[in-house]
Amino acid sequence: MASRISLKPSSGNNKGANGAAERSTVQVLKEWSAWSLEKSKVIAHYGFIPLIIVIGMNSEPKPQLYQLLSPI
Amino acid sequence: MAGFPPPGATILGDDAAEKKIDEVGKKKVDYFNLPCPIPFEELQREAIMSLKPELFEGMRFDFTKGLNPKFSLSHSVFMGPMELPSQGAETLKIPTAHYEFGANFIDPKLMLIGRVLTDGRLTARVKCDLTDDLSLKANAQLSNEPNMSHGMINFDYKGKDYRTQLQLGDGSLFGASYIQSITPHLSLGGEVFWAGQHLKSGVGYAARYENDKMVKLACAMHVPFASLLWVATGQVASTGMIAMSYVQKVSEKVSLATDFMYNYLSRDVTASVGYDYILRQARLRGKLDSNGCASAFLEERLNMGLNFVLSAEIDHKKSDYKFGFGLTVG
Repeated sequence: MASRISLKPSSGNNKGANGAAERSTVQVLKEWSAWSLEKSKVIAHYGFIPLIIVIGMNSEPKPQLYQLLSPI
Repeated sequence: MAGFPPPGATILGDDAAEKKIDEVGKKKVDYFNLPCPIPFEELQREAIMSLKPELFEGMRFDFTKGLNPKFSLSHSVFMGPMELPSQGAETLKIPTAHYEFGANFIDPKLMLIGRVLTDGRLTARVKCDLTDDLSLKANAQLSNEPNMSHGMINFDYKGKDYRTQLQLGDGSLFGASYIQSITPHLSLGGEVFWAGQHLKSGVGYAARYENDKMVKLACAMHVPFASLLWVATGQVASTGMIAMSYVQKVSEKVSLATDFMYNYLSRDVTASVGYDYILRQARLRGKLDSNGCASAFLEERLNMGLNFVLSAEIDHKKSDYKFGFGLTVG
């Protein structure tokens, strides 16, 4: 909810001419896309390398778990 | 006559050699079966490979451990001065050290490369072949600081003798490029881009000519040949930049390259000449610039999987001297 409140003032001023119902759909879309972009950035930031490791450990021939940490 | 081959065989031999030379000289160009050109962004790849090696300053140690033919982890340590962009003529350098961990998964259809630094910056590259002709590439640099993250996604379509690419980036960056083979050696292409955030848009054109000339010297039994490969490219963009490059492969081990960049809006000219020696145990690349900059980069193979790297860049104009050494394992 916090993100919604912070984004409202800027977009609300620009769309003063449209009807109230139209304004809210476009607004909701914009807020949703900004929120999802931010969340996907955080997910990509923390999850990309673990994703590669999981995909790699499950590929054939399956490497052992200790090989991840040992220098040999 | 015992030592000589029978006359019939010699005449046949000559005929065959002549026919071969004729074939090469007057090969009919099948304009409906032209080869697929190389991607637009790799137009100047020979010149870039020879003239722009990854020069660095300081100490570098890279260790790559393969767990699988497809999956590998990499650890990299770097200690050295990092240059800060400065307004004046003085170059500002601060000593830094960082450790970078990386994971690579390389499959013919999917390639994932990720690198993360100790300060939390992530560099990610994804390449996926959706179908035989359509492929998707994405790369991103994410960091913990706000507004310092960038990402870009490309869609490449490969046709019979053309390639197109659509590019979407953050900060409302949009670009498209198209390159087409005109003859078996010449390909022409164009690109258009629009950067919303910086309010820049531009159009660019490029041409690439490559030649693989076979010179056959026939003599008695053998037909030795030397192949000369040269590539000439030219690129113009509406940002005011004209870039031309020429690479000539002098022999199997040596190739020479030259590069010319002219910005007609800011009247900036840079020309450089370089060489690339690819030897059995080492690869040496050197370059001399019109900005008074001489650089060299040596990669020497000490042992199986052990490479020693030396990098040097001397900028006489700015009095900036950079020397680096490193070791690459695996």
